[in-house]
Amino acid sequence: MIEDLLRELAPQVLAILVRKYDRFDACEDAVQEALLAASQQWPAAGVPDSPRSWLVTVASRRLVDEWRSESARSRREEAVATLEVEPGATEQRDDTLTLLFLCCHPELSVPSQLALTLRAVGGLTTAEIAAAFLVPEPTMAQRISRAKKSLRGARFELPPPAELPDRLRVVLHVLYLVFNEGYAASSGERAHRADLTAEAIRLVRLVHAQVPADGEVAGLLALMLLTEARRAARTDADGLLVPLAAQDRTRWDSQLIDEGVGLISRTLGRGPVGPYQLQAAIAAVHDEAATAAATDWPQILALYDVLTRVSPGPVVTLNRAVAVAMVHGPLAGLAELGTLDGDERIARGHRLDAVRAHLLELSGDRAGAVAAYRRAAKRAASIPEQHYLALQAARLS
Amino acid sequence: MMFGSAAEMTETQSPEWITEMIGFMRDLDKELTEAGEMVFNEGLQDGDSAKVVRLVDGVPVATDGPFAESKESLIGFWVLDVADEARILEIAGRIVKYSGLVEVRPVGVAPDVA
Repeated sequence: MIEDLLRELAPQVLAILVRKYDRFDACEDAVQEALLAASQQWPAAGVPDSPRSWLVTVASRRLVDEWRSESARSRREEAVATLEVEPGATEQRDDTLTLLFLCCHPELSVPSQLALTLRAVGGLTTAEIAAAFLVPEPTMAQRISRAKKSLRGARFELPPPAELPDRLRVVLHVLYLVFNEGYAASSGERAHRADLTAEAIRLVRLVHAQVPADGEVAGLLALMLLTEARRAARTDADGLLVPLAAQDRTRWDSQLIDEGVGLISRTLGRGPVGPYQLQAAIAAVHDEAATAAATDWPQILALYDVLTRVSPGPVVTLNRAVAVAMVHGPLAGLAELGTLDGDERIARGHRLDAVRAHLLELSGDRAGAVAAYRRAAKRAASIPEQHYLALQAARLS
Repeated sequence: MMFGSAAEMTETQSPEWITEMIGFMRDLDKELTEAGEMVFNEGLQDGDSAKVVRLVDGVPVATDGPFAESKESLIGFWVLDVADEARILEIAGRIVKYSGLVEVRPVGVAPDVA
């Protein structure tokens, strides 16, 4: 597949150019143009013997053309000076990771980090990214262009060792958000955007290959694999969402489950435990249950207890409440939810009421469940979720 | 433009009806897209999520909605490119079976150049 090859080569080519010319924004434009030229020419002319050199040559030519037309002599001199300062002693550098750190720079807004990562590291076109986030292409082009401008002064090098762990957390969070955007589709009609989940998994695989010893990178990859494994069962033939307990588990992807379970089993206990590892472990317990009734809820609750200690937050409390209900009964779960009522971070969304509705239904309080499902339906931003919640309310009333 | 309320729908309709409505909307969007008539469409969040911006003493002030009767707020819209009025009224007639009210209007046109 030419497209796969181009995506794989995109960050490598960009890294080569940025190291040579030290102008991220101009180099990134040039690489996009080279990728476009390749996608137009290679299908007919065939893939060149050394596709990476081809792309580097074409992109460099674009850069030089642009500089000539700008007649920006000072910039050319700057580029030459940079070449002399850095005599190619950088082969050992981890280019993809450096690029990711740059695109997930803490000074950029989160939407900018996402867009830039998908373009510069993922090799997606602006049109593809715009379609994935359901915004018009000029809007996305503007967002990417602003992000690149803010990076103009940034250097193409790994952050200092002292900053590395924090910067890696930002990268993982951005990749997590890309996956989540694809999986949960925060707005719009479609319940799932496979292109984004696949891209997020591909990028985390790249990072994992670079830092295989990092438990949280492995944990995030396992979490994505174990979540993606359930994708086919997550919607029914009518496109309606199916909750975990009601999913047809024969439609889960056993290969992804095996890979995810293997990865998280090898990772846990080998280093400091973190939130991605714990979430992956929880996903693994779900995925290993042959039926919903066979789910090892005490094990899940124990994992949520650790997660609450390591990385407390309203979403963790919410999910833990479900585990509490499954182990100790719905009333115990509802009591846990009570602690979230005053929490602005979650009280505004639909999830608290959705979980409350589910637990009220389990406790036999139909009227309370209907009211909570209705409140949740009104607040759901995703249309498939809104439909699902409205259906639950109608089913009980 | 389709007016109504998702919240009211759950109070008055059966699960079968809601499932049927969701299927209808999906099939309709597919039909309009395949016929090349669809320009753009969106479903909107419930009217309760609205914020209203007004000028108060010359200063824009945002307050929480809903500002109008929430049972009939805009809940979705289609921008369509159709052959004639008969076709758009036919489409609207199908949508209105699942919605409180459907309003049809032409988009504005550019002024004459000459």
